[in-house]
Amino acid sequence: MAEQRGTVGGPVLTEWFATADLHKLDVYEALGGYSALRKVVTGMTAVQVIDEVKVSGLRGRGGADFPTATKWSFVPKDHPGPKFIVVNADESEPGSAKDRYLLENSPHMLVEGAAIATFAIGGHDAWVYIRGEYDLPFEMLRDAIAEARTKGYLGARPFGADYPLDVHLYRGHGAYICGEETALLESLEGKRAQPRSRPPFPAVKGAWGLPTAVNNVETLATVPWIIRHSGAEYATRGTEKAKGTRMVTVSGDVQKPGNYEIEIGVTYRHIIEELAGGALPGRKLKVFWPGGSSAKVLPASMLDTSTDLDGLKALGTMGGSGGIIVMDDSHCIVKGAARLLRFYAHESCGKCTPCRVGGNWAVRTYDRILAGEGSQLDLNILDRVQQGLQAGRCLCGLGDAAGWVIQSTMTHFRNEYEEHSLHNTCSVEKVAVGA
Amino acid sequence: MSALSEHVIGEIKELPGKYPQPRSAVMPALDLAQEELGHLTQEAMTQVAEALQLDPGYVEGVATFYTLFHLEPVGKHRFYVCTNLSCMLRGSESIIERLKVAIGVTEAGEVSKDGMFSYEEVECLGACEYAPVCRLDHRYEKDLTETKIDQLVNDRRLPRRYQKHATAAPATRKPAAPATRKPAARRTTRSTRTKKADG
Repeated sequence: MAEQRGTVGGPVLTEWFATADLHKLDVYEALGGYSALRKVVTGMTAVQVIDEVKVSGLRGRGGADFPTATKWSFVPKDHPGPKFIVVNADESEPGSAKDRYLLENSPHMLVEGAAIATFAIGGHDAWVYIRGEYDLPFEMLRDAIAEARTKGYLGARPFGADYPLDVHLYRGHGAYICGEETALLESLEGKRAQPRSRPPFPAVKGAWGLPTAVNNVETLATVPWIIRHSGAEYATRGTEKAKGTRMVTVSGDVQKPGNYEIEIGVTYRHIIEELAGGALPGRKLKVFWPGGSSAKVLPASMLDTSTDLDGLKALGTMGGSGGIIVMDDSHCIVKGAARLLRFYAHESCGKCTPCRVGGNWAVRTYDRILAGEGSQLDLNILDRVQQGLQAGRCLCGLGDAAGWVIQSTMTHFRNEYEEHSLHNTCSVEKVAVGA
Repeated sequence: MSALSEHVIGEIKELPGKYPQPRSAVMPALDLAQEELGHLTQEAMTQVAEALQLDPGYVEGVATFYTLFHLEPVGKHRFYVCTNLSCMLRGSESIIERLKVAIGVTEAGEVSKDGMFSYEEVECLGACEYAPVCRLDHRYEKDLTETKIDQLVNDRRLPRRYQKHATAAPATRKPAAPATRKPAARRTTRSTRTKKADG
């Protein structure tokens, strides 16, 4: 059984996580697992499945927050050839570990969800693109798929129905950019992972040039529950527009880091202070990233912000992939931002100039500032670079995300930037040294 | 040894049939090659290209893009240490310093004299609730401390029958080939990240 550091026995996704050996098919099935897939292939039409998910209000949990049923309905129904569900299991957003948590606890949940989604778009095959570093989740998924095939739940006649369904695995090899759906598709096709320009969208021309819907692990893992209980019941949770529950990963300077299942709409204070135990002894929270490193930071004074996805968008940030990174008053924001910029520069695929050049430019500027060689000029450079990275100048969001890190940390912590750049001091780290 | 065995080439030729289009086989093929040789030599990449009927430059282009493909010799046990923000906040810098001392190297990518170890700083491994973390021998090592680093290294220095972690290794066809030290000659390709970032 997987080691668990997070919610066990939550309302939806982690409902069965207290049960030992949940990764085994018979255990999963005894609790009600695969009843949704059985119901779908033996008694529902594709349109009915999409409608049920539409009622649930489920939105993509990979970061883009797009309505899942709508995405499925974009896949042309009358396309004569193969169509695919591609599962994005390339979880690489700094601060996000929830897909790994779900896979290590309940791989069958994803297998079942992926099969249902494949049925819903009128396809027969799902491809799971899983990041190469995830050895254990890969092995567990591989074994789960093998079990499901042996049982006859996947294959030529799942549950006796005349509708072939199968799930396949493809391993990534270490590239953050593969979390972006079109880069992921390129990678799946055996190419360097560089985002495509859209249109055409994957729904029309996706994997191997065929209609494809790309869904995140958590999104698909939610689908069996919706089919078992009804979309309406799922929609009773959450806020008016952002329905249901979701996983968040809390990491950094908190007492109980972990993966927690939350009802959308609870506050960050609830998550960080109650679920994750709050700040470490003797320290104070300073800032948090509300949805992965790519979400604009919020200072600790905004802990009462709701996890409502639309509310976060209104604030200019996002719930993203649910990775909440918490930093306390013993850590320097300039160093933190510099580390993230190194990440974005390293992971830039090199296709779009602003991201390829801007990221490295920012890294060199941060290096100067942290080496005590900064000046007002460097602050101006950072400001220009962050503007240049943003506003859709790149094919994918990586460039924007790098810009947001600079912009949001500079907005809220201008004083720390100025201390470093203009006075060559860091009051924060001095505190840390004394502590 | 820098070339692939007939057996592996045979396996690689089987791969394209498993995918809707044959080109998807390139990464699984490079995986097999790397598993046999420890790292991807120029010769091996050419052999992969021939087996898949692709251009050798294309195959190398794919290999250099992804961080899990190694174009230089690596240690038999390779530490992939996360130094991204969540791990940094939890002390990954001191983990790296300790690791360098424990395996006796001065920089990332350098292989220890006995060929046993090397390390690499990597981006987020997606196990942030256990920060600081590293990937070692196909498993994650969590809640790292300096003591734990020493243990991980020492365990692997023992004769195999005493190793606590002997079972954690994946089912490989053969024991991994000991990494031969090959300094200087291919130094330029090690920083694939620079190549990538600079386009």
